[in-house]
Parts: sequence; structure tokens; C-alpha cells
Amino acid sequence: MGDRDAVRIARLWDGRERPLTRRAMLRSTAFFALAAHGAAGCAISEPVQPRHTDPAAERAVNEVEEPVLNFFNWTDYVDEDTIPGFEDETGISVTYDNFSSNDELEAKLAAGASGYDLIVPSDNFLRRFLRSDLLRPLDHDLIPNLGNLERRFREAEYDPGNRYSVPWAWGTTGLAFSRQALGGADVTSLDAFRLAAARGRSVLLDEARDAMALGLLGAGHDPNTTDPGELEDAVEYLLDLKSVLGQITSDVIEPLASGQAPLAQAWSGDVFQAMETNPDLDFVIPEEGGLSWVDVLCVPRSAPHAANAHRFIDHILRPEVGGRLANAIQYGSPNAAARPFVDEELLADERIYPSAEALARVPFTRDLGPEIEGRYADAWTRVKTG
Amino acid sequence: MGGMTRGGTGRSLAGWAALAPAGLWLGAFFVVPVALVAQYSFATRDLGIARVVLPWTLDAYRLALDPAVLPIFWRTAAYSLSATLACLVIGLPLAWFVARHAGRWRLVLLGAVLVPFWASHLARVYAWKALLAEDGPVNRVLGLVGLDRPGGLLLTDAAVVVGLTYGYLPFMVLPLYVVCRRFDPRLLEASYDLGHGRFGTFFRVVLPGLAPGVVAGSLLVLVPSVGDFVTPALLGGVNQLTFGGVIDDQFRGGNNWPLGSALAVLLLATVAVLWVARGRRAREVL
Repeated sequence: MGDRDAVRIARLWDGRERPLTRRAMLRSTAFFALAAHGAAGCAISEPVQPRHTDPAAERAVNEVEEPVLNFFNWTDYVDEDTIPGFEDETGISVTYDNFSSNDELEAKLAAGASGYDLIVPSDNFLRRFLRSDLLRPLDHDLIPNLGNLERRFREAEYDPGNRYSVPWAWGTTGLAFSRQALGGADVTSLDAFRLAAARGRSVLLDEARDAMALGLLGAGHDPNTTDPGELEDAVEYLLDLKSVLGQITSDVIEPLASGQAPLAQAWSGDVFQAMETNPDLDFVIPEEGGLSWVDVLCVPRSAPHAANAHRFIDHILRPEVGGRLANAIQYGSPNAAARPFVDEELLADERIYPSAEALARVPFTRDLGPEIEGRYADAWTRVKTG
Repeated sequence: MGGMTRGGTGRSLAGWAALAPAGLWLGAFFVVPVALVAQYSFATRDLGIARVVLPWTLDAYRLALDPAVLPIFWRTAAYSLSATLACLVIGLPLAWFVARHAGRWRLVLLGAVLVPFWASHLARVYAWKALLAEDGPVNRVLGLVGLDRPGGLLLTDAAVVVGLTYGYLPFMVLPLYVVCRRFDPRLLEASYDLGHGRFGTFFRVVLPGLAPGVVAGSLLVLVPSVGDFVTPALLGGVNQLTFGGVIDDQFRGGNNWPLGSALAVLLLATVAVLWVARGRRAREVL
């Protein structure tokens, strides 16, 4: 057994995953969500219509007046001082629980009043939660530090004006590659999939919006398009690309780390993790473009301590607190005011903080509404079955 | 289950009570979930957390029977039939030998077939991943005779068939073992005496005698390999999506629960038809 086998097998039992893996993890917990559905009553109901309440009219108050905050975050996704610092300053005691996949978070939330005041879904699940009206609009009066956010995150496609969410950390979807395995070639565009060394070994993410975005970009279209004709082009592009692909999977860390895949569409965070095992790896936003992803703080409608949650959001937006967080988790910080407190070395890394020119090529995934989103999902099913 | 009756007075209360645990179990964990799935298949997809909402519609079935989805039918059929055939080719001589020639080693050999089955299917598929990888032992041995494949044998259709065959072989061996034990050796002597050669004896006497086991074993391998999505997903390449895989995608990816449910209902219906058509002789064993 070579080292690679050992890595492969070790991954099987590797419970300590870093943030981004969970987007990719085996999402078995979705079945528990299904079970919860069954338990909650088998009747299928009418679709939920999100209430379009005026955020200004919705004051955030604690339903239960006590100095408590129930915070549900990803594992290993915080600075050791973030929570003690908040507790010392406010006298609010924090119950800090962790999840390791968005589905796990959803299962908790779907089961009814979860008791959590603050949760951190990824932007794709933010969209899902909003469709089901599970989140409370933020009370901006309680978040004076909101202005510290970078402009890009105040006007972001996923939640313009931060009505429901404040970003925690962000990254990009681009191409991970192993320079040596590709024969020293520098990857700059999606043409890399056609390299002889990548043939039959490269990986495409198994996530409808991300994979379809690659198809759209490859066909020269906007990754947030609503045009059915352009989606068709993307399906054609991807069906053609399939002939040179090795695998379609969201579990890219293992194949990248073991060297099995010399090229993969990947989330930046997963690549950083794979780099720990395989230092030959690099990450790039292809010239056609990519996407940005973001994990966001939100307050569930059922939150018993909504005001305390707002206090925490304001706390994390402070320059020095945000800076410490960014240094600890080593993902992109959305906090412009925190920049002076972020390590030079991280700021200089374009894989974490892309240049202005590269940033223009990585829009956020926009919520296109149920009908179009359904079209994306079905187009992706067609690519996979075709 | 009529064994509980006493004195021929029909089924007693105790007899029905004995059925209760199994009935409750099947009701709660089989009938109710299947009914739920059937219900979901007529609902509308929701992209919020409800996943399925009103109104009722046939959209899911329309999508499931769309020509674009056809490749998964052929692919699933090809994988599962190849695996069934491979299990038969490996399992028949194995079962015959263990049943008739192994003597006191019989139980030990039967155990050897079964023991790997006690380990998690997932772990065993991962083991095959390591075995079939580019730097894995299989590719290295093939390399000695110049038959190795760049990239290893992973991500190929052959890898999927190997994984399925390995995974479900015990299901084939056990019913075959039963019919091999029951097979009357005097039939062989009679066949030779009456002029059949080895081939004639095998095809005209042995195989018909073992037919119930062959049919039962084939069904036991075919049915789970049609539904298996883990093995193709882990060992197969980019064109590995099978019936089970599409269903899994619709649920886990959160893409389309009604479509996943409709496909599951279609799969269940296909299996039910196979079951009913399995023939009278197979019923002796299964």
C-alpha cells in the first residue's frame, strides 16, 4: 500500500473536516430531513409564500429576556477568541454548536423551532431558507457596524442590501490543478480540460448551479442567465466536455490530495485543504470566469434571542474582531474595515483575495426564482444522465 | 405461517398475534414510506425546504419518461445484467463444489463466502477503489504483462461491474448452494448411462435441476444491483449514472423530490413485474 492509499483510507474516517468540505460531504442528513417531514405529518401542503415585511417595521427583540445566545456554526470556523471576547464584553453567554453540512443545518431548522438565534448557511441554502420564509429580516438599527462591509457584500446578488444576512467568510469557485501532473502547464482557461494529461481524470463539481455556471461560462454566457436558450448552450457544452472528464463529484479533496485528479472545478476552501497534503496544487479563476460563494450569518424566524443575535453580528463586524477571524480561518474576509488587521501574507494571496480584475469575473450566484432555478436543476440532471 | 393453528379451527388469535411484530415493522417501515414516495411522485417540486408542495401533477412522470432520461435505463440494465451473469458464472461452480465436494470443509467455505459480507458495503467499495487505482495492486500486476491502463481501472464500466459482482455474489451463491445440495447425484449416472456426454448432461440435466436456484439467485443479485447507486458512483466514471444514482441525486442534491419519487415508483413497478414473472420453479426456493 502506497502513501496515496493511506490517504484515501484515512479520508474515510477523517471526521475533522475544515469548513468548505461540508458543502461537499456525503449529504446523508437530507434523509433525516425527510424523516422529520414524515414525523411532522405526511400531508403535503401549499407552497409557502414569503412574507414581504418591511425590515424597518420589524424590530429585533428577545422573546425570552435573558443573556443567552444560541449560535450554530460550521465546525472549525471561528477564532478561539471570537466567542469568549463577545461573552466578556456583553455578559451574554453563548451556546456554541457545530454542524458539518448545510443539510444538517437544514434538517435542524426544518424540524421546527430549533432554538438557534444565529446560523451560518452558505448562500445557496440562504436562498432555500428564504423561499420557505425561515429567516427574519435584520434590524439594521442594531448593526451600526454594517458599514464596515466591503461594498461588494452590501450590494451582493444573493441578498442585496443585507436584508437577511451578513457575510461571515467567502471564497470562489474556480479550477484547482496540479502543475506537475499537467506537465508544468499553467492553467488559465477552461481549455485545460482538453490537455492530454487531464483527459479522463479531471473532475466537475456535482452541484447544479456551479457546474451549469462552468457550462455557461464556457459557452460565453452569464452564469446567472435566465435565458433558456443559453442554458441549452451550456448543456451542449457540458455534454461535450463529459467526453474528456473523469468524474462528476463534489468530493474533490481526496482526488486532488491523492493526485488522482490533476484538474478539478473546485471551491477555493476545499483546495486549500487538499494543498496541505499535496503542495503541488494551485488554484485559479479561469479567464472565462467563475463564481463567488459566501457563508452568511442569519437569524431564524423562531430565534428566541434575536436582539442578542444582532449584537453578535455587530460584534463580528468590528475591524479587529473580523481581522482575527479572517486570520484564524484563512478564508476571505468580507469586512473592509478589518483589512488592516489581516495578515499581510493572506492579503497578498490572490487565491484568497483575488485582484480587482479577477473579482470582476466572479459574481455571486443570483437567486433566479423557483421556475428558473428548477430549469437549472433539470438541465443539470440532463447533463448527468446524457 | 399457518403453523400456529391448532386442531384445524382456522387461525387462532395467538396466530395473528405472532404476526403482529412483523406486520407493525412492515407497516411502519415499508408500507408507509412507499405510500409517501408514491404520494410525493404526484406533487409539485418546491425549492424551499418543503421540497414537495401542492398542487398534484403528473409532471414528474412526464420528466421520468422523457427520452433524455433513457440512457440511464440501458446503462442500469447493462450493469446489473452483466453483474448477474458474472455472479452466475462465478457462483455456480463455487456452489457446486462447496455443496458436493468440500466434505467437512463445507461450512468453512460457506463461511468464507459470507464473512466479507458482514463488513460495510461502503467500506468494501472503497477497498476496491484502492485496489483498482492507477498505483493499485491490480493495475501493477496487469502492468507486469503489459496490460495496465493509464489512470488505472477506476472510473470504468468494468470497475462498476466488478464492484457489483463482488458485492452481491453471496446472494447468488446461497440459493445455488441449496439446490446443489438437493440435486440427486443418481441423475448424473442416469444421464451418462443414457448416452449424454458432459455437455449434454450439464445443459439437459444439471442446469434444469438447478434452475430454481439460478432464477432465485439471479433475482437476488439483479434487484439490488439495479437500485445500487453507491458502487457506480464510487467506481464508475463520468457516464456512470444509473437508475439508483438519478434517484439519489434528486433527493440528496435536493433537485427534484417528485422526479426521484416517480423514478422510484417506476423501479418498484419493474421489480414487481420481474417478481411475479419469476416462474413457478423459482418459487420453490424464493
